[in-house]
Amino acid sequence: MESMVKNAAGRVDTRRAILSRWLDPDETTLAVLLLAPAAILLGVMIVYPVGRLIYTSFLDLSLTSGLPARFAGLANYQQMLDDPVFWQATWNTILITLITVPGALLVGLGLALLANLPFQMRWPVRLSLLIPWALPLAFAGLIFAWFFHSEYGVVNDVLGRIGLPGVIWFNSPRLAFAAICLAIIWKASSFMAMIILAGLQTIPRSLYEAADVDGAGRVRQFFEITLPLLKPTIVVALIFRTITSLQTFDIPYMMTGGGPGTSTATLAMYIHQNTVSFLDLGYGSALAVVMFGLSMCVTALYLRMIRGSERAS
Amino acid sequence: MNASVSSGVGSLLSGKPLRAIAALILVVNGLFPALWILLTSFKTEAELTMKPITWLPHAATLRNYSQAFSDQPLLTFLYNSFMVALLSTALTLLVSVLAAYALARLNLRFRGLIMSVIIAVSTFPLVTLLVPLFETMRALNLLNTWTALILPYTVLSLPVCTLVLTSFFEAIPRDLENAAMIDGCTRFGALFKVVVPLSAPGVFTAGILAFVNSWDEFLLALSFNSNPGLRTLPVGIQLYQGEFAFPWPIISAALVVGIVPVAILIVIFQERVVSGLTAGGLKG
Repeated sequence: MESMVKNAAGRVDTRRAILSRWLDPDETTLAVLLLAPAAILLGVMIVYPVGRLIYTSFLDLSLTSGLPARFAGLANYQQMLDDPVFWQATWNTILITLITVPGALLVGLGLALLANLPFQMRWPVRLSLLIPWALPLAFAGLIFAWFFHSEYGVVNDVLGRIGLPGVIWFNSPRLAFAAICLAIIWKASSFMAMIILAGLQTIPRSLYEAADVDGAGRVRQFFEITLPLLKPTIVVALIFRTITSLQTFDIPYMMTGGGPGTSTATLAMYIHQNTVSFLDLGYGSALAVVMFGLSMCVTALYLRMIRGSERAS
Repeated sequence: MNASVSSGVGSLLSGKPLRAIAALILVVNGLFPALWILLTSFKTEAELTMKPITWLPHAATLRNYSQAFSDQPLLTFLYNSFMVALLSTALTLLVSVLAAYALARLNLRFRGLIMSVIIAVSTFPLVTLLVPLFETMRALNLLNTWTALILPYTVLSLPVCTLVLTSFFEAIPRDLENAAMIDGCTRFGALFKVVVPLSAPGVFTAGILAFVNSWDEFLLALSFNSNPGLRTLPVGIQLYQGEFAFPWPIISAALVVGIVPVAILIVIFQERVVSGLTAGGLKG
């Protein structure tokens, strides 16, 4: 009788111990439990698909042909090298990056310097940086397509008012490309400006006051205090912008659909077309591997820089 | 105000009229596109094809708005966008709160490595996974469902939310948690009863970022959910274009309807959004 009570009590004790181990685990168990959901999600949605992507890029897998997947070696990559549209789309993507990343930086820097003035009301300034950031890219593309409309667009209207002839923007590869770049710079510069503005606000005022005492002019102060102190902020913003820019899709898709011809198509648009429209998954994968490589190079650069700055500090 | 003339580059333009010009440049640059769409949405088709074009609508009409709702299932697009964004935001927050707590509070042996992985994922081009994700969603019969978008969107926002939340958690004094644990709270209890409420602004900020990310996404939504009943707003808006006609006033009305919900969110929570963007963007 007594032992039964003891046994029961013992069982309750172990149960309590198990329960409390679950509710109050030691540090390592807790770390694993807390990080597991994120790790599983990244594993299922990124690691596995990346493996699958590389594997598929070696397959002849077209859903329209109805044939089962067949190992094709480097055939997709061979096809890519001989494909003028691939080269065109890759070149366009790189050109967009080379034009819009510095463009958005310069415009963003200008906007940030203006926004850093001592305004009595901060909110109109803040909103005029936030609204372009929050506007979906696809919307921005549509809005700019309307801006550059050859007959009723506001851009040609303004050109006419200052005595210049209007142009048919989307009939010429060059002009269409220019219009796309302008739209991207407009959309991206506000985010740049917000990041740079935050950087500007961390620069201590005393530095400028000291420079004033030393008689350094405003322009010199900008190049010798502001710009060097902003450098880390600007570099991080540039890298993020570069990687995003390699994925450019929404704005050209909405403005020109890649036209005229394929003159304004980007790599992301060509991947989308091969995958979703042509259902040629093998070729689409090979194209994506190229973009993946491009983007990984930039990320590697970024990680190396962060490590470097951590060691330096 | 004039007494405290700022130093630095700012004072190149510190005079009042110059400041007004600066404000004008900022506001016109930021808001003109949205304003132009708003003006277009009130114009009649006849006015739109007048030369030279008019800036302010001559005979403002609301007909474009009723047509925007009747020509296409605009409410359905809004509903899809809203639900996908809301559900993926909730999932992102749940997962990133747990991960961020571990990163901010526990002595992790591989903390540096984990941080690097998170930063690397934050720059990951999701576009490149179009094929494998498309294949997977197709195999699981998930094309044309909310789930096909909620899962990738969660991954899209997970890194930045984790970084924002980690920096918020790090700012909360450990004593508060320890006190709660001495009072008999478990670690999970302390997390959800002390840390999360105290970092509510951070959780909220991360939530807005995740919401806007999902609300804006276009490529995956276009590729996975082409069924009109499941299109999100950016994808659905294309359906207004006819084969030859481009009904700009009606498209503009639909765009205005799509911009307003997020604009309201931004207007109300502007300071938090800015702090979240800079915390997430500058970390590392």
